[in-house]
Amino acid sequence: MTAVAALDEAHALLREFPVVDGHNDLPWALRKQAGYDLDALDIARDQRERLHTDLPRLRAGGVGAQYWSVYVPCEEPEPVAATLEQIDCVRRLLERYPAELAPALTAADLETARRDGRIASLMGAEGGHSIANSLGALRGLYALGVRYMTLTHNDNVDWADSATDEPNVGGLSAFGREVVAEMNRLGMLVDLSHVAATTMRDALDASSAPVIFSHSSARAVCDHPRNIPDDVLERLPANGGVAMVTFVPKFVLQAAVDWTAAADENLRAHGLHHLDTSAEAMKVHRAFEERNPRPVATVSTVADHLDHMREVAGIDHLGIGGDYDGTAFTPDGLNDVSGYPNLLAELLDRGWSKADLAKLTWQNAVRVLGAAEDVARDLRSTRPASLATIEALDGTDGSS
Amino acid sequence: MADLQDDIPTTAEVGEDDGLPDDPFVRQQPDGELLERAHALLDTHPVADGYSGLPWALRHLPWYDLELGEAAIDTDVPRLREGHVGALFWSLHLPEEPGPDRAVTAALEQLDLVRTVVESHPEGLRLVRTAGQIIDARNCGRVAVVLGPAPGAALDDSLALLRILHALGLRVLTLAGTAWAGETGLTRFGEEVVREMNRLGVLADVSGASSDTVERTIALSKTPVLCSRSAARALRPHPANLGDGLLAALGEAKGLCMVPLTAEQTGPAVPDVADHLDHIRRVAGPECVGLSGTYDSGAVHPRDLADASRYPHLIAELLRRGWSETELSLLTWRNVQRVLRSADFTARAAQQRREASNARITELDVS
Repeated sequence: MTAVAALDEAHALLREFPVVDGHNDLPWALRKQAGYDLDALDIARDQRERLHTDLPRLRAGGVGAQYWSVYVPCEEPEPVAATLEQIDCVRRLLERYPAELAPALTAADLETARRDGRIASLMGAEGGHSIANSLGALRGLYALGVRYMTLTHNDNVDWADSATDEPNVGGLSAFGREVVAEMNRLGMLVDLSHVAATTMRDALDASSAPVIFSHSSARAVCDHPRNIPDDVLERLPANGGVAMVTFVPKFVLQAAVDWTAAADENLRAHGLHHLDTSAEAMKVHRAFEERNPRPVATVSTVADHLDHMREVAGIDHLGIGGDYDGTAFTPDGLNDVSGYPNLLAELLDRGWSKADLAKLTWQNAVRVLGAAEDVARDLRSTRPASLATIEALDGTDGSS
Repeated sequence: MADLQDDIPTTAEVGEDDGLPDDPFVRQQPDGELLERAHALLDTHPVADGYSGLPWALRHLPWYDLELGEAAIDTDVPRLREGHVGALFWSLHLPEEPGPDRAVTAALEQLDLVRTVVESHPEGLRLVRTAGQIIDARNCGRVAVVLGPAPGAALDDSLALLRILHALGLRVLTLAGTAWAGETGLTRFGEEVVREMNRLGVLADVSGASSDTVERTIALSKTPVLCSRSAARALRPHPANLGDGLLAALGEAKGLCMVPLTAEQTGPAVPDVADHLDHIRRVAGPECVGLSGTYDSGAVHPRDLADASRYPHLIAELLRRGWSETELSLLTWRNVQRVLRSADFTARAAQQRREASNARITELDVS
């Protein structure tokens, strides 16, 4: 198949089975860049100078459903309030662009949006810090439409270990398992991106519903803690969950992982913190980048992950979570939300069938949300809302 | 024929006054006919009670059944039915524990608790948002639960949080106790809060606010405001009670003064409460007076108004004082219907004109 033919076929496929993307940080970008002034940063227009995401490019990319991340950083002084502001931002977007964006809470809503040709809009909270150890707050997020919660972001929470922090509770604490059980009861998907492998395994043990990885790739292909080890991928068929491959170069390309580590080391050698973005730090960093060109990931890099994940987890357990507007750099060919057809063309080239691709883009993600709803329906008839507290389950300091 | 006599002891009838000679407050029983009329009236126009502290009171009860009756609290479904309560505003109470996010997290927790409690009593209670849904609930034999008032502190000075609380069902917000509704009246941000409340249909509760805030809110709001717990200051100088000037202003704006049934604000007996209602009816008008039981809030209630079942006694007293059926129907039910409907109507109109406000307190209230 020629490249042009493959791309045409990818577009045709996406018209029927568009992409459900697991993670997009547009709401955070709107806060950082515009203080939530939706006129100043109008996503109905071409915003490629400032954002990875706008409505025209979502259309061009064949996106049919988006989990908008209502992310706030772990260091946010008032994480619950800040998360609610992110949710408000998504609700305002839905009010503002009703012809393009369709509010979605269920698998059925996803299918309705696909039929209507609108982009189904769901929400995911990125990190347990957004509920401040409160199951009441968790249920509040669910009531507001949040349909997944990543158990941690970059830092540990009191009840779960992160992939990028020091081990603390060794996976999930007792309260952490209660959080998972309550998410199951509600029908909120348990998202295991960002969490430590120990937490992934504990959550798979604890969850009675399929889990997701909203934006994670394969650790066997690129050894980064943000990626999923094979022994965890192997458990997805039994669990029914979905791993949504992410594109972030510093997670998917070994050379980029190594380059990032060297760049961080360089900053520290200059007496600066590796996350420092001050003018001085940026100057040091630019000098490093001039000496050491940044390795560039491509569509093929991401396809390598998918090939591996397919081999280990199976075609029924894959999805896509681009992490657009949540990462500074993107792979060549997947530069912004209009790039998904390039990934599909590459996979067609590698011999993936249309049926395979329909599962990857649409069907698996819809199935997993529907399955979480089914589990919730069962659990709600047998179990009341949990009133457990972290003090009661994990001891008073909440860090046992 | 002594042996044929019934040996059932004869005592005072249930409800009849024992007439204990040394009781300084001899119970004043409304005469039977008035009480009967009160019941009949409330059958048609039940009570929409503007303030219940139930969510906070239930927070620490390990187990309760509102359907069957619950002695540990002032409110349960049997007593609500006995008192002809058709709608009840459930207030949110925030703890004073320090710490970031405590207010907003506590607000989420209380809203969650309300939802859980209402869902677990489907035969008795129904969570509603609008005046129409209150009527529907009543037609289905359910007591309508309206969310609010919540303290303004729950907003954390953010209009986004106002919209979020409204999305979760909140219909009334108390302005007092915030940085933007203080002694000197509404700040610029405070005015924006009121405008956004109008746009959403969240009623402004000015109980406990300074005179300047009350006046400014009345003037600014496009829909009537209410006082969730205020009586007449002319009769009892409690800080949350309203002076005649403000009562008249509230009346002119067709606002609603909901009188709390608490000894502290109204006095120790039914006639004291009736005095306040008489006074407010005279100064503000019969369309501007309502009732707030204030049960389960920790307040001490006037004698004979100890719990949610006692409304007929109050209504009987008002009948005795010559309140007309129309005035009583406004007091118990129709005024609340009116202010809720007006708020919804105003919101629909405002949403055509205004988008969600993105104003920040740090931009508007530069000190």
